[in-house]
Amino acid sequence: MATKKRERLDVIRDILQTIRQNREIKPTRLLYASNLSPQMFKEYINELISKKFIKFDIDEKEKKTFSLTKKGQDFLMEYKVIENFIENFGL
Amino acid sequence: MGLYSLIIENKWVLELLYALAVSLICAVIVIKTDKFFRLSLHQGIRYFRNAFFFYGVAFIVRYIFGILSDLGFSSVYVVQAIFEYFLIMAGFFLLYSLVWRKFESSKEEYFSSLLNAKIAVFHLMALIIAVLDEAWHTYYFMFASQIIIFFYASIVSFANLRKNRNKHQFPKFYFVAMLLGLIAWTLNLLAPLYFNWNSGLLINVGIINVVFFLFFLYVVIKVTKIK
Repeated sequence: MATKKRERLDVIRDILQTIRQNREIKPTRLLYASNLSPQMFKEYINELISKKFIKFDIDEKEKKTFSLTKKGQDFLMEYKVIENFIENFGL
Repeated sequence: MGLYSLIIENKWVLELLYALAVSLICAVIVIKTDKFFRLSLHQGIRYFRNAFFFYGVAFIVRYIFGILSDLGFSSVYVVQAIFEYFLIMAGFFLLYSLVWRKFESSKEEYFSSLLNAKIAVFHLMALIIAVLDEAWHTYYFMFASQIIIFFYASIVSFANLRKNRNKHQFPKFYFVAMLLGLIAWTLNLLAPLYFNWNSGLLINVGIINVVFFLFFLYVVIKVTKIK
């Protein structure tokens, strides 16, 4: 049976939830967890960084990680409301 | 003194209250949905927000049209055309918010939802309808276009209601709101055709319109409270 293609909003929620669960996560681990192509992953990550939902850090040992910002946490809180809104109005 | 004659005698005060009430309801809906759109970039929310932005502006223009018309301004028909244009665009946006997935892919993103290749068609149609009404000094083209839009929107929202009947609480409100819109526009069309713009009928249409907007406000407030 074919699975329904994930909506853009669902992909964003999945990425943010994965980061939240891990607090900090390496780019390669996040790529695997997101189940996206590298190109699509890059597009989503760039968007999430530009919207200040996540931040990208490099420590003194050159370790690269993504973490959730306050705005990203707020989005995850609002996600359920937005999903409800879309489904109730059939948008 | 009957209720209708009381309303007719205080026409402009009540018209002002009517325009303010509808515009205020629309402003609340626009502000709430704009926040959701900015967070999600969901195109359906974007078009829904635009619909109520256009409704709000239309009702303000409608009030200005009423005043200018009573004062006997010569260029009042330009204001009427502007009012019609905004109202027709609002109807198009409301319908498009329900069916946009059929015309746009999820990857398709426009910088502006007010003016892009697809929405330009609506602008053109709204302009043509407003100009046709202007040329014939009538409202029939607008009434007919809105009846078609709300008839189609009622069918789409009914399908949505059947799909989500057990899952969500509010699709039935949306369907009822669309039916109210359809009834209001049908009565608007019948008023000049068979009732010689009967004041009582027009007051009832105004009441249905307020209920229509209150329905949307109620659902928007209730849905946004669910966590």
